[in-house]
Formats: sequence, C-alpha cells, structure tokens
Amino acid sequence: MQATENSQETDVRTDEELVRIVVGGDVECFEVLITRYQSRVFGMARKYFRNESDAEDVVQGIFTKTFQKLSSYKGTAPFEHWFMRLSLNACYDALRRKRNRPDQTISDMLFDDESWQDRLSNIPDASDRVGLEEARELVYTVLGQISDRARIVLTLQELEGRSIREITEITGWSESLVKVQAFRARKEMRASVERFLMKEEKL
Amino acid sequence: MKSNETEQQFLKLAKTIQMDERVPDGFQAQVMARVREQHALEIRSSDEQFLRFARNLPANEHVPYAFEKRIMARLRDLLTPDPLTLWSRMLWRAVGPCLGVMILVVLFSSEGLVDTSAGQAAGELDFETADFETVMLASFDDLENTW
Repeated sequence: MQATENSQETDVRTDEELVRIVVGGDVECFEVLITRYQSRVFGMARKYFRNESDAEDVVQGIFTKTFQKLSSYKGTAPFEHWFMRLSLNACYDALRRKRNRPDQTISDMLFDDESWQDRLSNIPDASDRVGLEEARELVYTVLGQISDRARIVLTLQELEGRSIREITEITGWSESLVKVQAFRARKEMRASVERFLMKEEKL
Repeated sequence: MKSNETEQQFLKLAKTIQMDERVPDGFQAQVMARVREQHALEIRSSDEQFLRFARNLPANEHVPYAFEKRIMARLRDLLTPDPLTLWSRMLWRAVGPCLGVMILVVLFSSEGLVDTSAGQAAGELDFETADFETVMLASFDDLENTW
C-alpha cells in the first residue's frame, strides 16, 4: 500500500501524458492524478464548505466529473488550469445548490467569553485544533452571508491573493463581471462584519 | 465677612444669568459626520482585520484515508455496465421502431377496410359474423356432444 502510494507520488509522467493514457483506456492511471491533486482540491472545497461530509461529496463529484470529461481536454492549456477551473465551477454549483440550506446564523457565532474583535486579533496556532476549528467557523459564517459569486471572487482575490486576470482565467467569467463581483463582495462582507458588530453591541 | 458678602452677591448674579443654549449652525450635522466617519473607520478596520484573520488561517488539506481508492472504485462501478440498465436502454430504443410498425399496420389495415367495405354487401357481412360465431362456439358444441 505504502509502496504504491510512493510510486504514485514519484511518478515522473506529466499530467498531460497521464490524461492521454487514461483516455486511451488505461483507467488505473487516473489514480495518479487523484493522488497528485486531492490535497489541493480538499483545501479548496473546505474553503467553501464547513461540513466535512459536504466537502468530501464535492471532491468526489469533482474527480468523477473530471474523469467523465477527460476526453474533452484538448491540451491547449495546462491540465492543472483546466482541472482547477472545473473544480472551482463544481464548488460554485454545489454552493448554489446548498444556498437553500443555511446552516449557521450570526447569533450562533457570538462568544460569551471574548469580543469578536479580540478573537479576530488572535490567529490560533497550527497545533491548536479546536481554536483553528472555531476560527474557521467564524470565517465561514461571515462569508456565508455573501452571495456565491461574490464569495468565490473574494476568496480568490483577497484570501488567495490572485489577480483579476487570474480570476477570469480560473472562473471563465468576463473581466468586468469579476470586477463587479469583487466590488460587491467587499461591500457585502463589510455589511456582514457590521452586522456582527451591531449584534454584539446589542448583547 | 465682607468677602463672604461679595461671594454671595456673585452667586446671585451668576444665577440670574440664563444658560446660553444656542447651538451653532450645522453643529449636529458636523457631529454626525464625525460619528459616521468613526463608525466607518471602525468597520473598515474590522473588515481588514477579518480579511487578515481569514488569510492567515492555514488551509486544511487533509485527505481522508484511501480516498483515491474510493474514487477509483466508484469510477470502476461507473465503467462496468449494469445489465438492467442495458436492458432498459434497449427497451427504450425499441420503442421508436415498434411505434412505427404499429402506425404502419394501422394505416394498412384501415386502407384494406376502406377497399373491401365498398364492394361488400350487407348480406356478406352477416355471413361473416355467422361464421365467426360458429368458430367461437365450436368448442362448446363439442362439449355438449360429449355429454
């Protein structure tokens, strides 16, 4: 088992070569691609979905869809870009489907022991699992108040530090749409933060 | 003693002076503008603080155990054709031709009826119905004979 994983990690074949082999009929080679990208895709999915099983479902769907669409990959752009774009679109679709089921409100995220701003100023240590989990919940709750498109743009631009051009390449949206969404995202996020502060003041 | 009197007089005088409650023009608007500015600054700073916080949270890239195996098993399932699905797919494919044949048969039979009905007399029809009845009830006639 360990040996297989290691051999997959050290596989020197490029993504494009592996895609050609899989499309040619050797399905088993797809496992190498999964091993290569799964951690990144999980990282991405967890930015949009708090629930672990939701994230797992989305990632599973992403790989299944990738396998089904692999023959449509033309090889004009790097596989990584094509794949990440597909993954992001899958996350966006899943977010839209999930929109009807809000899972946490602002009031659930107010703390008795410390103020919201105090919490924001203390980024938990990587070893502090509980602290990290709470911090992630806080981020999810604030970002959960933002519309899906705006959330994706905000995550890519502000949290991952990508440029507008990169975002247009990843999402496939026009530059003007990305700019509008970026502006809207900041506005919505500000409103969300404000709501938090006001709610806390009332308590 | 004298100073005391002066003090009292001063206080009396002071009391007679009415409080000047006049408010400078636009004072309220000025204060409110400052309050709003301060509030906006606070929000912006919390806004920035939130972004900094979210940016610095380490990404959770943990992969569940043997996740790739699970995906591969799922893909293999997708590739293996299910006999029931194949059968239903074939049935659905047969629906079109069957409908076509049915329509053709209906058309031909109705044409045949039109052709024959013109030449057939009423007596011939009665004869056919009598034949039909004889054939249908033949078995019952046989039954009676056995008894």
